[in-house]
Amino acid sequence: MILSPTSEAELIEAVRAARAPLAIEGGGSKGGLGRPLQAQDTLSLKNLGGVIFYEPAEMVFRARAGTPVAQLEQMLAEHGQMLPFEPMNHQSIYGAAGAPTIGAVAACNISGPRRISHGAARDSLIGVRFVNGFGEAINSGGRVMKNVTGLDLVKLQAGAFGTLGPLSEVTFKVLPRPSTQATLALHGLDDARAIGALCRAVGSPFEISGAAHLPAGILGDAPRTLLRIENVPESVVYRLGELQKIVGGGDTLDAAQSEALWRQVRDVAAFASPDARALWRISTAPSRAVDLVRRVQQGGAVAHFYDWSGGLVWLAVETGDDARAADIRAAVAACGGHATLVRAPVDLRARVDVFQPPSAPLMALTRAVKASFDPNAILNPGRMYAGV
Amino acid sequence: MTAIAFPKPDPAILARRDEIIAGLAALVPPECLVTSEDERRAFETDALTAYRRLPLAVVLPRTTEETSKVMAFLHGAGVKVVARGAGTSLAGGAIPQEDAVVVGLSKMSKILGVDFADRSMRVQAGVTNLAISNAVAADGFFYAPDPSSQLACTIGGNIGMNSGGAHCLKYGVTTNNILGARMVLADGAIVEMGGDWLDSGGLDFLGLVIGSEGQLGIVTEATVRLLRQAEGARPVLFGFPTSEAAGACVADIIGNGIIPVAIEFMDKLAIEICEAFAHAGYPLDAGALLIVEVEGSETEMDAQLQRIVEIAQRHGVSTVRESKSAMETAAIWKGRKSAFGATGRVADYICMDGTVPTSQLCHVLEKTDEIVKHYGLRVANVFHAGDGNMHPLVMYNVNDPAEQEKAEAAGMDILKLCVDVGGCLTGEHGVGIEKRDLMRHQFSEADLAQQMRVRAAFDEGWLLNPAKVFPLDGRTIAATSAR
Amino acid sequence: MQTNFTIAALADPAMRESEKILRTCVHCGFCTATCPTYLLLGDELDSPRGRIYLIKDMLEGGKPASEEVVKHVDRCLSCLSCMTTCPSGVHYMHLVDHARAYIDHTYTRSAPDRFMRALLARILPYPQRFRAALFAALLAKPARPLVGALPFVGKRMAAMLALAPARAPAPPPVERLAIATPQRARVAILEGCAQPALAPSINAAARRLFARLGVAVVPAPGEGCCGALVHHMGREEDALAFARANVDAWTRLIENGGLDAIVITASGCGTTIKDYGYMLRADAAYAQKAARVSALAKDVTEFLSTLDLAPAPPAGLTLAYHSACSMQHGQKITDLPKNLLRNAGFAVKDVPESHICCGSAGTYNIMQSELAGRLRDRKLGNIARLKVDAVAAGNIGCIAQLSSGAGAPPVVHTVELLDWAYGGPRPEALPKN
Ligand SMILES: Cc1cc2nc3c(=O)[nH]c(=O)nc-3n(C[C@H](O)[C@H](O)[C@H](O)COP(=O)(O)OP(=O)(O)OC[C@H]3O[C@@H](n4cnc5c(N)ncnc54)[C@H](O)[C@@H]3O)c2cc1C
Ligand code: SF4
Ligand code: SF4
Repeated sequence: MILSPTSEAELIEAVRAARAPLAIEGGGSKGGLGRPLQAQDTLSLKNLGGVIFYEPAEMVFRARAGTPVAQLEQMLAEHGQMLPFEPMNHQSIYGAAGAPTIGAVAACNISGPRRISHGAARDSLIGVRFVNGFGEAINSGGRVMKNVTGLDLVKLQAGAFGTLGPLSEVTFKVLPRPSTQATLALHGLDDARAIGALCRAVGSPFEISGAAHLPAGILGDAPRTLLRIENVPESVVYRLGELQKIVGGGDTLDAAQSEALWRQVRDVAAFASPDARALWRISTAPSRAVDLVRRVQQGGAVAHFYDWSGGLVWLAVETGDDARAADIRAAVAACGGHATLVRAPVDLRARVDVFQPPSAPLMALTRAVKASFDPNAILNPGRMYAGV
Repeated sequence: MTAIAFPKPDPAILARRDEIIAGLAALVPPECLVTSEDERRAFETDALTAYRRLPLAVVLPRTTEETSKVMAFLHGAGVKVVARGAGTSLAGGAIPQEDAVVVGLSKMSKILGVDFADRSMRVQAGVTNLAISNAVAADGFFYAPDPSSQLACTIGGNIGMNSGGAHCLKYGVTTNNILGARMVLADGAIVEMGGDWLDSGGLDFLGLVIGSEGQLGIVTEATVRLLRQAEGARPVLFGFPTSEAAGACVADIIGNGIIPVAIEFMDKLAIEICEAFAHAGYPLDAGALLIVEVEGSETEMDAQLQRIVEIAQRHGVSTVRESKSAMETAAIWKGRKSAFGATGRVADYICMDGTVPTSQLCHVLEKTDEIVKHYGLRVANVFHAGDGNMHPLVMYNVNDPAEQEKAEAAGMDILKLCVDVGGCLTGEHGVGIEKRDLMRHQFSEADLAQQMRVRAAFDEGWLLNPAKVFPLDGRTIAATSAR
Repeated sequence: MQTNFTIAALADPAMRESEKILRTCVHCGFCTATCPTYLLLGDELDSPRGRIYLIKDMLEGGKPASEEVVKHVDRCLSCLSCMTTCPSGVHYMHLVDHARAYIDHTYTRSAPDRFMRALLARILPYPQRFRAALFAALLAKPARPLVGALPFVGKRMAAMLALAPARAPAPPPVERLAIATPQRARVAILEGCAQPALAPSINAAARRLFARLGVAVVPAPGEGCCGALVHHMGREEDALAFARANVDAWTRLIENGGLDAIVITASGCGTTIKDYGYMLRADAAYAQKAARVSALAKDVTEFLSTLDLAPAPPAGLTLAYHSACSMQHGQKITDLPKNLLRNAGFAVKDVPESHICCGSAGTYNIMQSELAGRLRDRKLGNIARLKVDAVAAGNIGCIAQLSSGAGAPPVVHTVELLDWAYGGPRPEALPKN
């Protein structure tokens, strides 16, 4: 059965009434994300929508969890503002029809290329309201940017994939939208040089807001290394010029081209549905990213590209028995970081770890924390780790 | 001052003091253990000196492993632990208890590694905030959060309090700038959270630990994110006839979508106090001052400044003075960052730390003044205006108990006001003991109980800094609410 | 900070003063970060804030100093870095001076400790005795390892020997100097105690330079040690006796022909002489005279800066300028010496961590030789990063301390370099071209 509360009171009611696990979803755009759940009932938040307030002068809004991201982006754009962290739209890789909701963006800590300069969703998320396993509505954070009052459950909720309780409201800080953007593209670099150039550029004072490398075959035949600058027009021109000195040339994509290309990077268009290969998202240190990919390649071919100056690697592999989980986990263990199996058939996601398995003491804490929110394991149990 | 209660020391622990000290002495060399009363005395308080409690003993471990052994022992012995960095907390976060052992990180002050390509740096928890930036300044990098106490406060304490600073308007606070940390749990287990990459996998324990005021574990190492210094930075002084005008100007700057690196506010009294110490050229004739820092290339700074000046003019700005040299810039910031200390020349003070929506700044400044006057005291305001983080310094005479009570009452009224206009009790200094008993003003019982259950998930026995953050009856409430 | 003194205790002016100082401290901890001993030991008890707290507790309680308090106060270099840092204006110098005197009155040190202190107090402040001791030290220097092995006092004696220069300096040259006309000023130069024996070349250089500049130097019979050495040991009465003697000597000159300045070439002494006014404030017979002396006291670089020296051609020498703590923290003289040196044709570099003490600090390098050695090596490490030809410094203590380190570059007094640049002899410590 699908429960679709339209108010927080109904949401609380649904949780209180539940005697068996509930699968929590937002708009249903990311059904393929996380471990599959054995839940009879689905708790959908898509009808719990609507903006509660938006104060452009304070650059903050609060919305109910089911509010579509697109609606909010539209609202912000009208006031020349934006979500700083540029959330990816998962419809692209899952080919799903459901629209992404702001609650899911918060719960899954979804960020895009601009994460490198402006932080992740969790960095802009300043308040949440959620319902815990006791069926209580809980507030954490608030509407002001600086707030250290009490434990930061906001951060804990961001990236908990609903396992600590469905969010009912989220409050984000936003930023003015830069008046224009442009991208510097370098051509023909191998991975190592490309990452080197990206790191040099990101380590410059020119505030790179996107740093990606697309090897040959990713959105084009030849390798491209991309650096985005967003600012007022004069600054964009000036900074591109300075950047060229640092990375040794490159040509410029204008605002429209830049915007279109970064949307593709953001939404991982290179591996978009109907491509059904297994898809991994790996966070690591830029200086070790190339080595990490090389290690995986030793066990068989992969398609890949880098975002976040090399700190984020997207890897597409044949599904096979384990979607190369063993190779990838070994490479991550050697290089540091964490890997998430973002797309794979349901049975495979039930068999292999979707999220990086935490160390034993962290796993113990994960269990204890989960129990402190949801002792009866009603809320999305097993979404992240089996039995939690 | 006795308005804020501490729990009664556990007589059973006090009775076992010798045994506990003997146990610690077996784990660390003598120079890492402080036991004599005279010497323990120096650890009885932090920067909230009105409250003091003599600890059972002080341990200063030198490594994570030593910390782990100490923690395991104390856990086994059921002894409470208060983590201490530099002891600069303004909220009493590092004040001990008679039946607690202080674990100080001051001997762990090594820089462990710097990586410019990955823009990260690994340090021990006792490294001071400024030492991090200083270590990489020559290479053009810095660590962004810059509490005014950055000269002295440790990165461990910054993590404990999720500290902010003047430049956090653009770059975020501690939680936005830490990539990883190593922590010793209550029972001595060592956990590694995050790493030198972006976003820790799994639950965001790092985000939870930052700001947890030493209640979830003792951080012994951290990986911080380094940023590249801007091409140039220029603080500009804007003098206004009144606080109201300056406050309105702040709201207007932000409202126009301009985010300078910093917008700092000083009222007349604060200007006088800071100028006397730093000789920074603050306009003594102004009723209020904004220090606005812009950065970028020369043209970029000029362009942004021009827009800010136009806005300031609409609010009747009386002086605009740009820093013309590195020395002037240093003096301007030195004055600002010494504000609290310099206030000590004039009077004792308590420093409030509520945050309010920027649109409420004027209203809250006005009300603050009323409140303080009502108690017959004086107030100096010097704070991070860009993000609405107020710091009214309520001035009083600490040797006069009646004044002290009034000062505390005024402080409480101000903080409640901050919450009531949509803000919060503390923007960067933390709850500590100071705001502990106001937590119910901001949170419901259920909110608090949820936080306390999370806390208990790390520290079932409530041994870590137990007198802080949560109301003293909280522990029992948390236990019973977990039906 | 809150304080808790009894009314009776506050009847004592020294207590009252200390109470006032304690009241201005807000316990913010800023000073810990720039304290040399805290940087080395990482223990709040060895930081200014910790010491202030220990002192507060000791004074408030009116109890005799305990072994622990003494240990941490003894470790303080009196470098006064904390005073430069403190935004609240806490006068740590006066507080710790009071504490030391209080300790001296209420605490009985161990026999070896008493022996060392008495030895130093009886020798160092007296030029003749010091010269004799220096001579003995030169003879004993080869026996340093043996001395080091002596029970109780061995380490300190060995440290003392290590500081003695490798050769006995030449006796003070008797130079007849023609004062350039017109005469621009009439000054006294502090002869002091240890410096004439250790490095007579310093004041000789100052005299030559002054003569060329038209500054007449008048002798001040009866002048001697400034008293700093015993002052920092807490021997308050001894210190005041030295101070009074000097005040008398200079007052005679002031009242007889006048003085434009009392020039001091050792910044350690300068800090103390500038404090005579405070030290003798309760002595009705001396308070005013002492204040007048303090007001006239000038570091040699301070005085030279008033004379508008002409720029000199490049000397082809790169210097690290080591600012003595007594110079930068005690007297707040920071840029003047560097400006003079640059103007005189030297390239001058700042030493990283320049605000941290080299470990000399009066008798500290003898009494706390281990910490002093670590500070010296830290300082020399920082200097080594600069790749300079020599180090300029304005305090004999620092010069001896730094020179005693392995692989130290030549360390020369600022005034010797200036004298050389303006026509004097090349300082001996400098390598021959
Ligand atoms: C003059 C002055 C100005 C200040 N300005 C600012 C400012 O601009 N912005 C700001 O945010 N704060 C400011 N503060 C407050 C204070 O400096 C910060 O809270 C700072 O982060 C405390 O660091 P510390 O090392 O002194 O920690 P402490 O005061 O020793 O401890 C702070 C808290 O963290 C815990 N803790 C310490 N170390 C660890 C560790 N290793 N692991 C776990 N927990 C730990 C302690 O138990 C305590 O709860 C100021 C303080 C002063 C005195
Ligand atoms: S810096 Fe000054 S006010 Fe702060 S603790 Fe040190 S002495 Fe006290
Ligand atoms: S005088 Fe120097 S050594 Fe003594 S407390 Fe101050 S800074 Fe530390």
